[in-house]
Amino acid sequence: MNFKKFFALASENGIEVSEINKNKSSELSIELFKKEITSYSIKENQKIVARGIYNNKMGFVSTEKDDKDTPLFIINSIKQGASLNETDDEAIIFKGSEKYKKKNVYSKELESWPTDDILKLLFTLEEKMYAKDSRVSDVEVFFSKETAESIMANSYGLVLKNKTNYFYFGASATIKEGSEVKSAFNMFLSNKPSEINLDEFVDETVKKGIDKLHGVTIAPNSYKAVLSRDVVSSLLTALISNASSEDVQKQSSLFAGKLNTQIVSPKITVEERPLEKNIFYQYFDDEGVATQNKVIIDKGVLKTYFYNLVTAKKDGVESTGNAQRAGSKMGIGFNNIFLKPGKLSEKELIAKVKNGVYITDVTGLHAGLNPSSGDFSLQAEGFHIKDGVKGDPLTLITVSGNLFKLFNDVIAVGNNTKLLISATCVPSIAVDNIKVSAE
Amino acid sequence: MLNKKLALDVINEAASTGADFVEIFYEDTYSSVISVENGKVNNVINTNISGVGLRLLKENRSVYGSTSDVSRKSLLNLATTLSKSFSGEKIIKPFDAFTKVKAKELCKVETPLTEVPKEDIVALLKSVNKDVKDYDPRIVRVTSSLAIDVHSTEIFNSDGKYIPNKREYGRLALLSIASEGNKMETRFDGPGGQAGWEFFTKKLDLKALAKENASKLIMMLEAKECPSGKFPVIIGNGWGGVIFHEACGHQLEASSVAKGLSVFSGMKGEKIANDIVSAYDDATIPNEWGTYNVDDEGNIPTRNELIKDGVLTGYLIDDFNGRRMGEKGNGACRRQSYKFEPTSRMGNTYIANGKSTKEEIIKNTKLALYAVSFNGGSVNPSTGDFNFGCSEAYIVKDGKILEPVRGATLVGNAKDILKHIDMVGNDLAFGQGMCGASSGSIPVNVGQPTIRVDEIVVGGRGGSIDEF
Repeated sequence: MNFKKFFALASENGIEVSEINKNKSSELSIELFKKEITSYSIKENQKIVARGIYNNKMGFVSTEKDDKDTPLFIINSIKQGASLNETDDEAIIFKGSEKYKKKNVYSKELESWPTDDILKLLFTLEEKMYAKDSRVSDVEVFFSKETAESIMANSYGLVLKNKTNYFYFGASATIKEGSEVKSAFNMFLSNKPSEINLDEFVDETVKKGIDKLHGVTIAPNSYKAVLSRDVVSSLLTALISNASSEDVQKQSSLFAGKLNTQIVSPKITVEERPLEKNIFYQYFDDEGVATQNKVIIDKGVLKTYFYNLVTAKKDGVESTGNAQRAGSKMGIGFNNIFLKPGKLSEKELIAKVKNGVYITDVTGLHAGLNPSSGDFSLQAEGFHIKDGVKGDPLTLITVSGNLFKLFNDVIAVGNNTKLLISATCVPSIAVDNIKVSAE
Repeated sequence: MLNKKLALDVINEAASTGADFVEIFYEDTYSSVISVENGKVNNVINTNISGVGLRLLKENRSVYGSTSDVSRKSLLNLATTLSKSFSGEKIIKPFDAFTKVKAKELCKVETPLTEVPKEDIVALLKSVNKDVKDYDPRIVRVTSSLAIDVHSTEIFNSDGKYIPNKREYGRLALLSIASEGNKMETRFDGPGGQAGWEFFTKKLDLKALAKENASKLIMMLEAKECPSGKFPVIIGNGWGGVIFHEACGHQLEASSVAKGLSVFSGMKGEKIANDIVSAYDDATIPNEWGTYNVDDEGNIPTRNELIKDGVLTGYLIDDFNGRRMGEKGNGACRRQSYKFEPTSRMGNTYIANGKSTKEEIIKNTKLALYAVSFNGGSVNPSTGDFNFGCSEAYIVKDGKILEPVRGATLVGNAKDILKHIDMVGNDLAFGQGMCGASSGSIPVNVGQPTIRVDEIVVGGRGGSIDEF
């Protein structure tokens, strides 16, 4: 579809200003099981997401078709949506930021990675997983590589382009000893194949599963705890989602009215760094506003909300570059969340807690965690902490608490930060009390 | 519509290197969502999803490709690329025309949702929205929306079959948030079906739905924290069935059973549940949310018996995973869209009625949690460990419902829980949900009568249940 022609046609049809996002992506996914490629798939996808202002109201549409009927389908959908739209939100399409900090994060190394080498890597991974320990009974290996290109253009003449690629591979292993069955799961995400250390990955994955064997129970109670990076990432992301200005304005965030006040422990400092040069790097948001690195929580004090153009206008501030589409509607999002590390290693955190629990994983977030109230009750995995060292694994437990209270009760923040698949870069932390339920 | 000659050419090209089965899945789906927030239409979205998924099988191997570009050049190119995964002579028998497979229409509707004026939909959504919002000033945000999805699909395969199908879904989603001081509670209700406008205007009692949503929201806002520990749990009918769906249903899917990765692999004929438990997956129930005329590889669905009187009697099988099991698919192959390789999934899954009434179950219980509804849950298929978050729960004491409690999570193991079901009610009902797995997010019904589990681990922020 020719953008200029489309904008002209839209204008002829009464759509004052319009905007098109065209995304093209291609993906290769491979799965292995028992030395066979059990699944090999290629996805080629293109999608046009459009919006436009008709009679001062915004209308949205998205389509995967790009044929002769597409422009009129888009125009009619925008008009229909805008005609029904009753929000007081100002309809804004952006003319552009003064400056964009564009960096190239596209990896040529990944682009030129031969499929045969990928397959060799996966078969080697599978072999090493089985060879690592005789208790590894089943291994599923998976791989995915994606390239995405997007162009955003609007009738004001703004044109922004982005091209990214990344890959991930992972393994899910079943560990059996007698009648005991445990599982381990691990993933590696990057855009540079040369960063892979297969032996380290295998060691880490198999150890995760083996360590869970011979679990013991624990008395239901409140415990001091060390939370692993993965757990911190899940809980911190849920906490930070309350900084959405849209939720604040609609009275459904407990961060409402809390700007520049102490909301969590002074040990907690959180930044959003969309311009950090990693695979989550993003130099403009979904409204075309230039993104910026910023402090969200400074030593426990809430410094800003996440804004898009519409919510910023309501509060009389500038957009923070946090517009993110949910479907085709504009909402609020964030990425590359960094929790400032402390001084202690994870081992030292465990020593500091002395007696308590070390929580390695939590599951069931979509059902057991309410981000707006902060209440959570989640299936968890972990270990005893006894006399300052990691002890026995714990069988089937839940942890529950409240996010606001939990991040208030921080004893210490670790120094073991790592960029995780969840687009967060966080260390482990030690907290004063978390409620554990068990058999 | 995909040109039949093109379909034939694509199958021939894809089969050129020895694939033993080739299938084209063409899809053209139109979705529209209208949503009303606090009395005003805040969102109207039209979405089109269209493209082709191409699947090639050779023994226990599959290769899959999808593209949104359905031009001849793009599809033949995809066929050539995928065929390179295999090497050998062409083994599929040549044919020059497709035979149309006509499936029975299971979802008859009076007024298709696509024919309803948008103004009528807006009026209905505003009315429900107002009823919830007006219930209590602490209800700060109410979103009511109607999502309509019309899937038009065509399957062409190397058995010479052409299977067109159409499904039309409608779902009303009601999400409300109440807040008071530092407390905040959310409640979601989402009735849906493949049943036309009459489902929303005649079958559903919208006033009652709004009242249920609002009153339960406020009740949970005021509720005490749920106690933690291990104790009996009564699980409510309808949405309570999500526990069977997660804990057992997923592990009866051939995708994990065939590879020996499910806790129920190779256990057909064995006792896996208490005698009083029988369970089915039936994608043929007229107008239901998880119903389909044909599955996503063109097989006709049937009522699949999974557990009979506690004995494992069947799995949910797709043709490809069935190869490893030495069985044919039983109409349980599904996918979200053409972008997903299809696999065995659930449709309308339920525990069958038993003999007790709900009242008898409560009356016969000394001290337990009564979990009426859930936000959802998940399961690890290789270990069978599951978790569920309750959205509505009560303490039952001395045969009576005592008071509501919030923040309950149930965790357990699939192998254990079925054996611990000690009472089954006679009030089977369904709840509608979206189920996510390797072949995407699909509409499913969960269902069960009220049941009782004699012990399960409950996580909550309150103290011991004995304090009640």
